[in-house]
Amino acid sequence: MAKGRELVGRIKSTENTRKITRTMEMVSASKMKRAMDRVIAARPYATALGDVISSLYNPELAESFPLLRQPQTTKRAAIILITSNRGLAGAFSANLIKEARALITRLESEGTEVELHAVGKKGIGYFKYVGRPLATQRNDISDRPTAADAASLVDALMHQFIDGSLDAVYVVQSVYKSALSAPPHSTRVLPVARPEQKRAQKDYLLYPSAAAILTELLPAYVRNAVYRALVETVAAEHSARRTAMKNATDNATDMLTLYRRDYNRARQANITQEIAEIVGGASALQG
Amino acid sequence: MLNVSVISPEATLFEGEAPSITAPAFDGEVGILAGHAPMVTVLGTGTLKVGNGPSFTVSGGFLQVVDNQVRVVTESASKA
Repeated sequence: MAKGRELVGRIKSTENTRKITRTMEMVSASKMKRAMDRVIAARPYATALGDVISSLYNPELAESFPLLRQPQTTKRAAIILITSNRGLAGAFSANLIKEARALITRLESEGTEVELHAVGKKGIGYFKYVGRPLATQRNDISDRPTAADAASLVDALMHQFIDGSLDAVYVVQSVYKSALSAPPHSTRVLPVARPEQKRAQKDYLLYPSAAAILTELLPAYVRNAVYRALVETVAAEHSARRTAMKNATDNATDMLTLYRRDYNRARQANITQEIAEIVGGASALQG
Repeated sequence: MLNVSVISPEATLFEGEAPSITAPAFDGEVGILAGHAPMVTVLGTGTLKVGNGPSFTVSGGFLQVVDNQVRVVTESASKA
């Protein structure tokens, strides 16, 4: 029963694999839930910041803020590519890398110098492999990105933007739309899009002054955009891994059905053959 | 009564009613009672007290008052 034994081995190994992928699916599902909660928890801050900035904003003030400058031509741009530190998440990191490459190609065809900042081992690994130099690389940002992580990523770029050595900063991230759809997206965080002016403006008492408040809030706004990109990408990563692991589990189940069928067929054929041999032997003795 | 929310980038730390709040503005403490005029002020570092309820250590950000709604939006906050 050589074929039967071989199949038993395969069935066992597939069962073990399925156990692992099923566990990973469940782990990712719960991590995704928590990451999702963080995405939602980050919303009020962004709304509050956006509200106040657009209620204080007026075009005359804008002239004096380096963070609001809108360069006519983009000579040099920075891209922050956010990928994951771990694999087994389907095409998640590959999609982000593809998006980043498309953006690089587009910017370079417009004559822009592009510097690349990679977050996550997958992105770093890819660009090392193709031999494109990275301006900075970070693989220490965990599953639970903090506002401090975002600040450490973008603060240096903000200074370069202010002193004019950078004209634009993009973040390549995943936009978490739902558990099934989290497409990669390039978000421009700098220059800051001009906020729409609200029609009905309250007469606020402003301390110390509108300009001073904006000086304080604009960097916070930019950092927050990056923070949100980080948390959304983490949520998308877990959702991608969950989907990939669910598919792997389903495939393992399909394979098991086939192996078990083959195994039983082999076992039955074996029994039939043994019976035939016994019957044959008995009738030979009788004869 | 004031409707107070304390918001940090990571989470909303407090949401609820309070009779007054004391916040560390950039140039010293500022106290707010119901019926305060609309105001936006930059925050410094210090302790934010919400009525007799919880207090937080905050740093940076701003405080906005409008129609008895107080929003404390800070870059870093932790329960004190």
